[in-house]
Amino acid sequence: MTRRIRPPLAEWHAVILHREHPLVDALRRQLELLQIRVTVCWPHLDEAQATADVVFFDADMGHDGQFPWPRGLAPMPIIALIGSEAPGRIEWALDQGSNAHLLKPIGSTGAYSALLIAAHAYQQVRAQADDIRVLEDRLRQRPIVVRAILHLLQNEGGNEAAAWKHLRSVAMNWGMTIEDAAEAICRNDKRTRSGA
Amino acid sequence: MSRTAIPVSILYSTTGPYAALGRDAVDGAMAAIAEVNMDNASRFSIVAMIDDPGGRAEDYAVLADAAIRTRQCRHIIGTITSWSRKEVLPVVERHGALLWYAFPYEGYEASDSAVYLGACPNQHLLPLFDHVLPRYGRRAFIVGSNYIWGWEISRIARERTESFGGQIVSDRYVPLGSTEVDHLIAEISQKKPDFILSNLVGQSASAFISAYGEYRKNTTGAPPIVACNMSEIDLEGLPTFARHGHLSTSIYFDRLETPENRAFKARMTERHGSERRITTPFLSAYTAMSILTRAISDAGTDAPDAICKIITARSFDTPAGPIRIDRKTHHAALRPHLGLSDETGGFTLLQSAEEAVVADPFLVHAGQRSDPPVVPATLKVVK
Repeated sequence: MTRRIRPPLAEWHAVILHREHPLVDALRRQLELLQIRVTVCWPHLDEAQATADVVFFDADMGHDGQFPWPRGLAPMPIIALIGSEAPGRIEWALDQGSNAHLLKPIGSTGAYSALLIAAHAYQQVRAQADDIRVLEDRLRQRPIVVRAILHLLQNEGGNEAAAWKHLRSVAMNWGMTIEDAAEAICRNDKRTRSGA
Repeated sequence: MSRTAIPVSILYSTTGPYAALGRDAVDGAMAAIAEVNMDNASRFSIVAMIDDPGGRAEDYAVLADAAIRTRQCRHIIGTITSWSRKEVLPVVERHGALLWYAFPYEGYEASDSAVYLGACPNQHLLPLFDHVLPRYGRRAFIVGSNYIWGWEISRIARERTESFGGQIVSDRYVPLGSTEVDHLIAEISQKKPDFILSNLVGQSASAFISAYGEYRKNTTGAPPIVACNMSEIDLEGLPTFARHGHLSTSIYFDRLETPENRAFKARMTERHGSERRITTPFLSAYTAMSILTRAISDAGTDAPDAICKIITARSFDTPAGPIRIDRKTHHAALRPHLGLSDETGGFTLLQSAEEAVVADPFLVHAGQRSDPPVVPATLKVVK
């Protein structure tokens, strides 16, 4: 079983984006039991609140333009508060990038598990986004790999297999990605020369 | 013999943005109560606990809670908008009470603590669009009240229209209760849709229909307004030129020509006089209260569990025809009709479903339909 790092909730600041309602009081009680500092706001979340560690938002009456960041790019985990299980509302919550949800009515339980699930999902989304960015960079660098192979064939002699072997060994010896190694070869970095 | 007095909460907004609907609903519920209370053979009488939330969503839960806790009501006949129903549901669920909801709504709900006697989209919007799309054209303009009813009906209408190869030329919302509609008329005039779907509620709907009537006076070939929630009450008080030519789907129209409806209207004439037109909200609340009283009579108690067993076990005769409530979804199977309004504000029936349509609140079956409506060969599409 993977041991996960639990977020330091006692240091957290939560924002509840919801109009005044008994469910807001119930949610506030749950969060304050976890020693989370709570701010309630409606109808907009301002930039000062964009530093919050988690945002609970109303999926029933929510609308575009409530958040000070582009749609789906919240800089923290966000949790939808759902009363209407209508596809239109759920799709809207998904478009915002919801990492977890709590069903209304809200009683005395649910917030803690929603927080942990949202924090985990958010980390995972962030990590995957980073991975995708790296892979996209590598994809963009693919032409340089071809150029490096041609460069090696022309300047080092040997066949294509030998050129590939050379490229891989440069990457391995210097702890680079294949693409970075290729770039180094193309600019004649001295680390990439045979025997280096 | 003393009769047991059973308190029942009647929770409709008789003031506020959709007060006209609420007032008719209260009248309907009271008419059903009068019938049981005047029946000397009845072992119980109903005591109406009437509250008016004034159209403020947040007041519904407070009043429902008070009716259940302090006045011992175990049944609430009430709420018109989904916004208010969703406020009351947690309260009835918490207390083991039962909410009797009798208005058309957008679906995606099936609480054990509610009875759904109004139509959901496979009983209103889909049959309406199956009629309208092949006959009027594929370019729809949608206007709605700005809450879940307007949003979700619009979404389903968009899916249905697009699956038919059509498009939504505009999708506009108005705050619940607002009568600012001039910008909608201006946009309709500019975009020239083939028809207008109105999901407006209460005074917003009446204001829009009235303004559209003015626009239509000077516009040849103006398309119809179609709706799933337009009834006689929305046209009442409007100028005659604004009332006619609108298509509405409903489980009841005053002019429904059936023996049950004729008998019902005769009874209501005795109570309210011959001038009173029976509107869908009146009929809906009447039906809810009437089924409840018959179920109490059968069960010998108003305990919600016992009532639920009774109402899902047999069919109930109503002025709109026999109604059967599904045991799993708590939704009624209903027979939708299509009506065309005239200058008196009444609806002439154009067509009716052959039989009651089982409710599909989550559109599980309708979502799988791959049969867009067919343009009838003999009818010309009006552009």
